[in-house]
Amino acid sequence: MARKTILQVLGIVLGLGMLMACGLVSPEASFAATHPEGLGAGRPSCSECHTNDVSKGAMKPYASFDHTPAFVQNHKFQANQDVNTCGTCHAQSFCVDCHGGKVPMKPAIKLSGSPDRMAPHRGDYMTLHKMEGKLDPSSCYTCHGRANNDKCRACHR
Amino acid sequence: MKRRTYVALLATLMSASAWGQEVSLYGTTMAQMWKEATPGFNKATFTPATQYLGIDATKLGSDQLSLHLFGWGRTDLSDASSFDGKKSGGYLNYGYLQYRFDRANAEIKAGRFTVNQSTGFEQVDGVSARTDLVNGFTVSAFAGKPVLYKTVDLTSQKDYDFQRDVMFGARLGWRMGRMAEVGLSYLQDGSKAAKDLAIPSTTDYTRKQLGADLSITPTSTFDLRARTVFDVSNERTNTAEQDYTATVKLGSQVSLSGNYAARAFQYLYAGTNLPSLFRQDENDAFRGMGGKLTWLTTASFQMSVDYRHTHRDTYGDANRVGTDLRWDFMEKAVLLGVGAHVVNADAVKTVDPAAPYKSISHREARVWTMVNKGRFTASLDGIVLHYESGNPYLVGVRKAYEGIGSLGYQATSNLKVSGDLSYGTSALSVHETRGLLRAEYRFGTTKKGGK
Repeated sequence: MARKTILQVLGIVLGLGMLMACGLVSPEASFAATHPEGLGAGRPSCSECHTNDVSKGAMKPYASFDHTPAFVQNHKFQANQDVNTCGTCHAQSFCVDCHGGKVPMKPAIKLSGSPDRMAPHRGDYMTLHKMEGKLDPSSCYTCHGRANNDKCRACHR
Repeated sequence: MKRRTYVALLATLMSASAWGQEVSLYGTTMAQMWKEATPGFNKATFTPATQYLGIDATKLGSDQLSLHLFGWGRTDLSDASSFDGKKSGGYLNYGYLQYRFDRANAEIKAGRFTVNQSTGFEQVDGVSARTDLVNGFTVSAFAGKPVLYKTVDLTSQKDYDFQRDVMFGARLGWRMGRMAEVGLSYLQDGSKAAKDLAIPSTTDYTRKQLGADLSITPTSTFDLRARTVFDVSNERTNTAEQDYTATVKLGSQVSLSGNYAARAFQYLYAGTNLPSLFRQDENDAFRGMGGKLTWLTTASFQMSVDYRHTHRDTYGDANRVGTDLRWDFMEKAVLLGVGAHVVNADAVKTVDPAAPYKSISHREARVWTMVNKGRFTASLDGIVLHYESGNPYLVGVRKAYEGIGSLGYQATSNLKVSGDLSYGTSALSVHETRGLLRAEYRFGTTKKGGK
């Protein structure tokens, strides 16, 4: 009952927020749609140029978007909160290489000419997935739990 | 969405791109061929041809309006490479019109798009809107029909389609300067329940999730990101997922990150369209924690060491530890990477009374290099997996490996052609040889997409 009330309150707050949005909308100019300069090869480190700056779109230090190995592995957090910052350099087709909903081949094959990218499922992953699925099936769920699971069905009926 | 509606919408969207003052068309054409020799089966040859195509058209009459389309099609020229036996297929990954306002980072999207708020990563045919508000608040919302994947058996698909009739969600966030951001979100997938079916089903595909996300970034050297997802579809609220990652930078050369994640399958798997695999009835749970230390010793050498401990209630524990080294030479004209990881895992229970427990521990090693010289590119990538003897999933095989060589030529600034050759052996195939030809092209003015 308490939970239902919380949800109703949240719904009302959001509804009111939408209705009053015109008066409440931030007057700040939007963040740049595209990065003004081309970037070199490899993973960029935003803080190399934006030393202590705060990203206008995300209101966070640019350093929190440095493409370190840990960032590449855990980028879901930035994508959840700050997708407009990602969008200044990445078109959505970049995300679709892995997060396509339904894709015709595993990312490691599509990107086989770019071994520097973190494309999942390299080598004989068909065998390895039996072990990784045993250790943590919830890591499979992110991509294959609701979509992109045509091949899973061949065995997991 | 009905096929005719789908085609009409796609045709309308594509024709709309003609109005764009800046239009970029990009694609990749791939022709593959591989042969598999599996013990006990006839040798098989597969030759699928795949076409990826994307269009970004901006300034459609107004500087703020743009169109974005991306999809693929595939056809098999010999044996069917798809497990469902079909020789052709295709899919529209996204296709939407976007209006981006000059202020408040506000935008409206209509069409097929991806929603990645804290509660989920979903594809929707519908509309979405977001804007920044005064005093650091942000609000976003979407509604539409969820993209349905025909990936459950025909009988269950009817139940699945019936229950997943609508999807909507919203997120309210608050940003405190450069210090922090907190968000609260809600996602509902489906308005009907399994009990509403003519013949009530035991599998409930509807979802109601409440999400909370947090980031704390007070300085350029510290970053904490967190999210928690609650399943609120039942009388009692349950925690489906918790995920926390903190990163500390020590000077400009060293960064240390730690992560903790916990997931309760019974609540996380709500709404899966593969209930036989992602089983809610197992009442299972997962916990994992680990860290990664990255050291940029010089401008051209990076080393990372990582460790992760995982625990699954119904299985047991595992530890994964390893390192990745990465060099670049001659201003990134030559890249070289080496990695090695060891997974030490609890043995799994088997039905064999002579050997009731068998190990799934394994080791992995990888070496790769990339060279860019003038118009030419070349790469080599090798991976080896070594398993313990008696692994229950490998019928006596202890080693699997794959090597891929790739050569590319940038014919013009808009066109690159490349070819790959790979050879490997696995538990499924004693020999697998694979060839791939690839043409990548981009016409137009928009610069994004490659990165």
